[in-house]
Amino acid sequence: MTWVTWRQYRYQGALAAALFAALAVVLLLTGLHAAHVWHSALTGCAKNGTCASLTGSGLSLSSPTFLTLVVATSAVPLLPGLFWGAPMVAGELEAGTHQFAWTQSITRRRWLAVRAGWLLLAAAVLAGAVSAVVTWWSGPYNALNADAFQVNRFDITGIVPAGYAVFAMALGICAGTLLRRTLPALAVTLAGFTGLRALTALWLRLHYMTPVTVYYKLTAPFTPAGSYLGISQGWIGPNGQPPVPGPGNYGFDGEAVPAVCEKFMSGPRPDPLPCLMAHGYRGFVTYQPASRFWAFQGIEAGIFVVLAAILLAVTFWVLKRRGA
Amino acid sequence: MTPVVETSGLTKRYRRVTALSNCTISVPEGRISALVGPNGAGKTTLLRLLAGLAAPTGGRAEVLGGPPRENPAYLAEIGFLAQEIPLYRRLTAEDHIGIGAHLNPRWDGKLVRERLAGLKIPLDRPAGTLSGGQRAQLALALTLAKRPRLLLLDEPLAALDPLARRNFVAALAEAAAGGGLTIVLSSHLLADIERVCDHLILLAESQVQLCGDIETLLAQHRILTGPRKDTTAIAATQTVVREDTTPRQTTLLVKLNGPVIDPAWTVDEPNLEEIVLGYMSAGQAGHGAGPAGARLSAVGGDR
Repeated sequence: MTWVTWRQYRYQGALAAALFAALAVVLLLTGLHAAHVWHSALTGCAKNGTCASLTGSGLSLSSPTFLTLVVATSAVPLLPGLFWGAPMVAGELEAGTHQFAWTQSITRRRWLAVRAGWLLLAAAVLAGAVSAVVTWWSGPYNALNADAFQVNRFDITGIVPAGYAVFAMALGICAGTLLRRTLPALAVTLAGFTGLRALTALWLRLHYMTPVTVYYKLTAPFTPAGSYLGISQGWIGPNGQPPVPGPGNYGFDGEAVPAVCEKFMSGPRPDPLPCLMAHGYRGFVTYQPASRFWAFQGIEAGIFVVLAAILLAVTFWVLKRRGA
Repeated sequence: MTPVVETSGLTKRYRRVTALSNCTISVPEGRISALVGPNGAGKTTLLRLLAGLAAPTGGRAEVLGGPPRENPAYLAEIGFLAQEIPLYRRLTAEDHIGIGAHLNPRWDGKLVRERLAGLKIPLDRPAGTLSGGQRAQLALALTLAKRPRLLLLDEPLAALDPLARRNFVAALAEAAAGGGLTIVLSSHLLADIERVCDHLILLAESQVQLCGDIETLLAQHRILTGPRKDTTAIAATQTVVREDTTPRQTTLLVKLNGPVIDPAWTVDEPNLEEIVLGYMSAGQAGHGAGPAGARLSAVGGDR
């Protein structure tokens, strides 16, 4: 069955390998350049003692085109699921070739297991390889911008792309088996994958672990170290509530200034902070520390792999139960 | 001898339609059985049930001593060729031979190569580029290469031109001549069937109308021609399958229950086509002997 799978997918496999090679070459060249620029900048700032302000210095590591290309690899894990997963069963049903395959001396379960197994592995390897290159390429960027934990950075680096790819493949196979037609299965895979990715990136990921909240004096703002994942930030009063804007409707640093401190908002350099502190106002930041990056990678990859396992179980069950 | 295929009350219902209803048939070993009937009669459903590709919703089937099942040992004994002649369009004949070799315990790749060489079908071209006839021959060769004990062929002749049909039928006869092979093939082409088949299963309206050895069936039926008159008398002694009346004469297809004594009738031996058409139109018309004919299942039996 392995030989059969190879025979049927070798051209697609070669195409995927060629596309990956092309992407790797582009990223290798631009990545080497970015690393070079980054290291010279570090050496330069160390001499001048300006390394603290390097982030806001407008240092350009690469052209925006390549950054866009790297962000676009976010879609890579979807592609094997779309083009190999969705047609895996549905394409056979549409062409009638399942009647050939399933009347050879092999059970449908084994046919599905071997074929799905290799495709899942191929998808994980492809997405993992792209992610490996992207992770290396993003090193200087993430160091410069402290954004490794942000949406569109976290999702294209580390191990999560492999998890996404496994999920997309399982979704494609399952949708194709249930719907029996490639095109609707493609649409379901696209919608399901995009929807779940958006849901995890924008909401679920913030809650994998209990976030850390740090309170700080308003005159000494606190910024978490490194590439943290910010959840919320602002001022709270002694009652634990954010300030209620006064009748003047003043704002300071993007926060509302309460009525008691509004008198400090007039004049050329308004500074309500000492007044706010005197009335018990504090700043807070709720976030996931940068040190949790790999834990979060593991949790998110795990979620997608578990969902993939459920989808595959459904596929096996449907294929066993339903007549061909 | 135990039959290779034996079903009783086999039924397949899909959500709304009944594709096969209460099907009881028996095919002895070594027969080449023709499965005939109008479109939608349940021929494909029956073959798929026997191949284990679908599960029955009622009744039971015994094929080669057990129910059709999704089991490598069972599947190794069955050769199934679906109506659409499924082959992987982008794969060559050689690729298909390789697939068969990897998925079957007994596999005769040499047989496929020899057959294709004899038919001048290239081994190295994608199946999608072959002609319909070449694809059918390739698919048959692949099915035979499994060395099955039961060959189930769904309309294998439909895609072929007359010459290719003759070659195909000859190939079937040759494969069966080796012994140990039973074939059930569905077809509309009675002339081709008559050349090679020695057993007949007639399905109409999801039900079995006839099942038996062709020789027996021919011996059991007669065509009676006579002046137009009341047929009650003859219907009392013989089973009238179909009645055709013109203003001047009456033609009956009867299943004999005894000798025809009334000298008013001219008695002729029917050919297979006349019997098949008689039962098929009786089932369709729903008049005369229709319902009676419909109940005539499993005549002939497995003697």
